[in-house]
Amino acid sequence: MRQTRRASAPKAPSRRHPDRRLVWVIMLFFFSAFLLISLKGQIHWQGLALALVVPVLIYIATMWLPRFFPADKLLLAIANFLCALGVLILYSTDQGTDTTRGLQQAVYYGIGIIAMLFCILLVRYIRRWKFMIILIMGGAAILLALPLAIGTEQNGATNWINVGGTSLQPSEIVKIALLLILSYYLSERRFLPWFLFAGFSLVILMFQMDLGTALIYYATTLFLFYSATGNLPLTGLGILGSGGAAILGYQMFAHVKKRVAIWRNPWIYYETSGYQIVQMLMAIASGGLLGVGLGLGAPRVIPVYFTDCIFAVICEQFGIIFGILVLVMYVILILRGTSIATSARSSFHALLAMGCTVILGIQTFVIIGGVLKLIPLTGVTMPFVSYGGTSMVSCMGIIGLLQGVASINQDDLAYDYEISHSLQEEGQLPEA
Amino acid sequence: MKQQRMRFRLLTLFIIALLGVAGVYGFYSVSTYGSRWFSSAKNTRYQSARRTVNKGDIIDRKGVVLATTNKNGDRVYQSNIKSRSAVVHLIGDEEGNVANGVDSFQASYLLGFETSLSERINALLRGETRRGDDVTLTVDSALCTEITRAFATNGNTAGKSGAAVVMNYKTGEVLALVSLPVFDPANLTDKDRANPQHPFWNRALQSTLPPGSTFKIITAAAALANMADATEHLYECTGATQVMDQLIHDYGKAQHGTLNLERAFTVSCNNAFSQCALILTDNVLRATAENFGFNDNFLFRDFVVENSIYPTTGRNAVQVAWSGVGQSQVGATPLHMCMVAASIANEGVMMEPRLLAKVQSPAGVVRLRYSQKVYARVCDTQTARTLDQFMKNVVSKGTGTAARVNGLTIAGKTGSAEGAIDGKDATHAWFVGYIAQPELPYALCVLVEGGGSGGSVAAPIAARIFKYLKDNYTR
Repeated sequence: MRQTRRASAPKAPSRRHPDRRLVWVIMLFFFSAFLLISLKGQIHWQGLALALVVPVLIYIATMWLPRFFPADKLLLAIANFLCALGVLILYSTDQGTDTTRGLQQAVYYGIGIIAMLFCILLVRYIRRWKFMIILIMGGAAILLALPLAIGTEQNGATNWINVGGTSLQPSEIVKIALLLILSYYLSERRFLPWFLFAGFSLVILMFQMDLGTALIYYATTLFLFYSATGNLPLTGLGILGSGGAAILGYQMFAHVKKRVAIWRNPWIYYETSGYQIVQMLMAIASGGLLGVGLGLGAPRVIPVYFTDCIFAVICEQFGIIFGILVLVMYVILILRGTSIATSARSSFHALLAMGCTVILGIQTFVIIGGVLKLIPLTGVTMPFVSYGGTSMVSCMGIIGLLQGVASINQDDLAYDYEISHSLQEEGQLPEA
Repeated sequence: MKQQRMRFRLLTLFIIALLGVAGVYGFYSVSTYGSRWFSSAKNTRYQSARRTVNKGDIIDRKGVVLATTNKNGDRVYQSNIKSRSAVVHLIGDEEGNVANGVDSFQASYLLGFETSLSERINALLRGETRRGDDVTLTVDSALCTEITRAFATNGNTAGKSGAAVVMNYKTGEVLALVSLPVFDPANLTDKDRANPQHPFWNRALQSTLPPGSTFKIITAAAALANMADATEHLYECTGATQVMDQLIHDYGKAQHGTLNLERAFTVSCNNAFSQCALILTDNVLRATAENFGFNDNFLFRDFVVENSIYPTTGRNAVQVAWSGVGQSQVGATPLHMCMVAASIANEGVMMEPRLLAKVQSPAGVVRLRYSQKVYARVCDTQTARTLDQFMKNVVSKGTGTAARVNGLTIAGKTGSAEGAIDGKDATHAWFVGYIAQPELPYALCVLVEGGGSGGSVAAPIAARIFKYLKDNYTR
């Protein structure tokens, strides 16, 4: 019904899009960056392929897809810039090694775009969530608990499963389910289901020793609860409770104590557990303000430079100023997300958009704050940039949810315009 | 819905504030600690940069080239073994045994990391191997050599470990900074590596030792500023003062009788100063010590220095009494004690020690010029003038007469600090002092580890340094 009306109605006054120019600049940036690396020394065909593929992917995601439904183009442009930045950094660190993370990440990027499309469609075309959400909740619970049964351990956390040769991190995918569940039940004012699910997830994550992700789940749940209910006493209790849990954890577990000690002075633990953070700090310092240059420096001396520590690599190659600009991009992302949330017409959509914004913001803070030694380092990925398929799918999925809400907002706006236009024609409203 | 929107905005503000804090903190820490992180011996990056860039020269204030890079890209030092050994702790060595020598701490200049893009492209187009910037130091390398010679030729100090720092008390320029024993950077031997005296340590910057009686400068400053009758108050020295269950003695168990602060300072009476510390209380003494830079996080532009310590918690009367004479966990580096003496000479203004006189690119672009900076105002002018008189007395008629030089007005303070070397009790000999003449504004600190009496072991070395300054710096 809405579709046919929109087609016949005069179009809503479209804002002029400087985004279009921005996208071309981004595409040019990545084209030349990949070209630069692939023509250094001898010709690298992989790099040349990426020099074409990455801009094409950016074009598809930010210019071609929005033809089919209204979208927030600035949000799209920034998310895609960050994804492509990840591919670029990974490809540049591949140089001189056998790894092909850059190429793999480009594939993940493509999959991420599909995941985004899927989530847009999910939000746009599913009208009856009541049964859907129960289905999602059951699926998510099973998925989250799977690593406990058939999981493999990576970096001290048992949060991976192997499916057909590729490893998956269920807690990343379940983030999308968590957002849908939280915003649905909070908008329905039903307390028990989301509380049970969030509690269950936290317990599972604790068992898997995935503290960073647990923190993100907890903060998202708490903040979303606050924005839905405005219940300050309970929110305060939640914050106090987490503070108490943190102190208790510090007192009870030796490895938590160690983490904190490393954070306070990593240099005295250089030979052992402080190695990673010291290497990151030296990488960031070596970059200085303007960086040593793309493809230069020695990023591979940092442990897990391709996931958790990738922000240090960005800072080394492009400098701390660029690093802070990346941070600013996340801020713009968050601002766009909030704008989508505040202009949503239904409580469910508003909370969903806000949840997406909060989860991305918290995760960004947890990892970048950790890399810059502001807070103890916990192993979470840097949204969009870090190497990894599941992380990419979850982040782009979250962008998909946001875009879905944004497109519904746009449709509603167009619908309003159409009504006021027809009322004006009938003379019931004065000209605007 | 409207309230919910407000909450959305509040939440967004909160998250953005978090990210903002992260950004500001990151920028702050990189600009504050960046060069220290970068020049860490653990950083493998500047080692690899050396393959593509020729390190610039290090030059002393007289134009002597202390380190340069030859055609093969090897680092070359002065040809005279004694000269190059004397400045080894300032410059550093190729293996990175010495922490934070100029060669590594200023690597961002020497390896041309500060070179602008246009300069880099120019060098690339001309097909030259890039060359880093040349760094000129405020150091007089001949003075450094003279100091090592003074240590080696004196029977009391030969073979002992120690340190000496000379600086201009008006500007903060460091003229000499020597740590003993020295070693030859051009021929590193296993003997050096296995030497139990740890020749790689830069004692002037890295050894936080009890300053002993040299700390009485600070105790006296605290008394002058906080006790109404500071100059008249009489102390009783019977050779030992009982505090709780401990006896506090003087070095050599001397008995000084009844004496005022000036006399106590001149003869360096431990009894009087520990009584004084107890009258002042721990908090006042600590506050004064902190004015003088104790417990500060030293972040000097040109030096990486261990922080000096005045303990902050859990102190009983015995510990406070000992702190008044620079013992009981009080610790300071020779560079810091030199700054303390210099601040008295400079009427209570402590200058930040400076090592870089100039940094210049091969193309002649000056990247850094000498600039001086006040580190702190440590005490008021009147207190500084009184202490100046006290310190002149020490050299003219007190414990520091061995530091006297004909034709110069010298002020100083001796110290014989009870500490340890490798776990064994040892008495460290200290002398801090300066030339109280405006045309020769130089302060120094001499430390001889395990040397014994400051007045008879450290002061003669100081006298030789003062004499050198008189002979070479009088205009």
